[in-house]
Amino acid sequence: MTTIEDRVEQGRRPSLGDGRRDGGERPGFGQRAWATVFAFPYLAHLVVLTAWPVLALAYFSLTDYDTLSSPRWVGLDNFRRLFGDEAFWRSLLNTAYFAVLFVPTQTILALLLAVALNQRLRWISWLRSAYFVPVVSSWVVVGYVADAVFNPQFGMANTVLGWLGLPPATWLQSPVLVIPTLALVAVWKGVGYMMVLFLAGLQNIPEELYEAAKIDGASAWQRFRRVTLPGISGTTFLVLVLSTITTLQAFEQVYVMTGPMRGQPAGQPNGASEMTVLFMYQQGFEFFNMGYASAVAWVLFALIFILTMVQLRLQKKWVHYA
Amino acid sequence: MPDTGQRGRARQRRNRPGRWLAYLFLGLGAAVMVVPFVASVANSLKNFAQYVAVPPIWVPDPPAWSNYSQVWERAPFGLYAWNSFLIATLAVVGNVVTSAMVGHALARMKLPGKEVLLAAALGTLMLPTVVTIIPNFILYKHLGWLDTMLPLVVPYWLATPFGIFLMRQTFLAIPRDFEEAAALDGANPWQVFWRVHMPLAKPALATLGVFTFMASWGAVLEPTIYLTSPEKYTLPIGVMSLQGQFMGNDQLVTAAALMSLVPMLLLFLLAQRYFVRGAMASGLKG
Repeated sequence: MTTIEDRVEQGRRPSLGDGRRDGGERPGFGQRAWATVFAFPYLAHLVVLTAWPVLALAYFSLTDYDTLSSPRWVGLDNFRRLFGDEAFWRSLLNTAYFAVLFVPTQTILALLLAVALNQRLRWISWLRSAYFVPVVSSWVVVGYVADAVFNPQFGMANTVLGWLGLPPATWLQSPVLVIPTLALVAVWKGVGYMMVLFLAGLQNIPEELYEAAKIDGASAWQRFRRVTLPGISGTTFLVLVLSTITTLQAFEQVYVMTGPMRGQPAGQPNGASEMTVLFMYQQGFEFFNMGYASAVAWVLFALIFILTMVQLRLQKKWVHYA
Repeated sequence: MPDTGQRGRARQRRNRPGRWLAYLFLGLGAAVMVVPFVASVANSLKNFAQYVAVPPIWVPDPPAWSNYSQVWERAPFGLYAWNSFLIATLAVVGNVVTSAMVGHALARMKLPGKEVLLAAALGTLMLPTVVTIIPNFILYKHLGWLDTMLPLVVPYWLATPFGIFLMRQTFLAIPRDFEEAAALDGANPWQVFWRVHMPLAKPALATLGVFTFMASWGAVLEPTIYLTSPEKYTLPIGVMSLQGQFMGNDQLVTAAALMSLVPMLLLFLLAQRYFVRGAMASGLKG
């Protein structure tokens, strides 16, 4: 796309930016100068919000820095300490556990909802909206809404368990249930968004493929298995990678729902919901170990980088474009 | 949503059982989405005794409407709302204008190193807030920006990768005839951008606008780190801080949280298709 555009642009020499009146030669008003002015916000972005963080992260991760006294060079000590830190490994394990519960559940539900929504039904826009309301709600709103369900004393979930003759649970206050509960709420909040991605994918599958399959006598399940699934493999892959990357960055949900909302430090009970970004946050902004926290940020970056690379590589191999 | 019209109706007639199954599944799912909101509205209308009652009271009678006015009277809720509104508005304006400028430069202008910039934008997508927050905190501390709204606004004035991709895509699709006509009339590149291309890109601008508003309005991490004075709090962290102020009267905090959703919900209902479009645009990369 770019190349065609560029060629067209080059083909038309005396084009617009030259401004017929100044002939494009006057310094300061040439097309390149104008383009640089337009691109300036992003050039500043690259310096301040891309180059600075990367370089600063590299430097501070090799120092001991509490933001008050000047940074003290410690070499690779932060990394050595980090890889021997049980709390850090636990936070990675918790994040992985959360991802294992959250990513497949959300992906499958989003796909099923999209398939169900991808037909002419009455009330369809209302139904779609219902799934999108949690998406636009902030985590603080979701935290209080989820409390109506998972409050151990008077939430609806325990009432439902009671109807089924099951004992009540303490949900977010239970070391065993806290991560599954968080994953469930995360699915509730995020499924509408991923559903829309799938809907976009489904609408790109040519109707002719379904007609042809019907003529060949394919059942509904066969059509789903042989036409729909291959047709949306690209979207599925994107949804999987996006959800995994989101999980790695999960902070706000864990922070809000396990911490300030309950008037306690986040990551409760007893560190059972401690996740990697929360660990970094606490090291950096509660204990002011900026150097140590920078080392954690590197690990997060490395994981996100690897995932993105895997996405770019495997996309070509696995994904079947309809 | 672009629907298949005729073909869809034909499919519908043939697939009765499938349609009922779809309705059942979607209806149940929608209930799961909506019921927690209804339950929390009910919670917000309880007095303390009703709120903590076991077994739970589902419909408070009489409803404690005064909970909502109490939030305004006993807490600086209006101030939090104003702060959120101001920050979100500045963020929206900044991101829409600057991302459109950069998208325009990448799509329609002769820019040296265009490919490098595009590749860099992809790289920037791999540097989410959680990775950059520590160095940025240190930077803002040295700039004396802590406890001001600047760290929450200025980054949006430096264009965002999502905005750049979206606007570049949009400007690439606009035919050249318009700008040529404008150039004949002696318009300079800024005038072409502002008067010719921007009006044609309204849907994409609206999409970027609502997404920026949503991100700014709901942000928890950045305000938590950058704002320390309660009078500067935005709604999400302001609402959480009420937890301490109302001392266990969670029905009041719930009322405050729900009120903080109202502007977002109104925006969503008014601009639904732009939210859907934005979600779809974020998937286009794949």
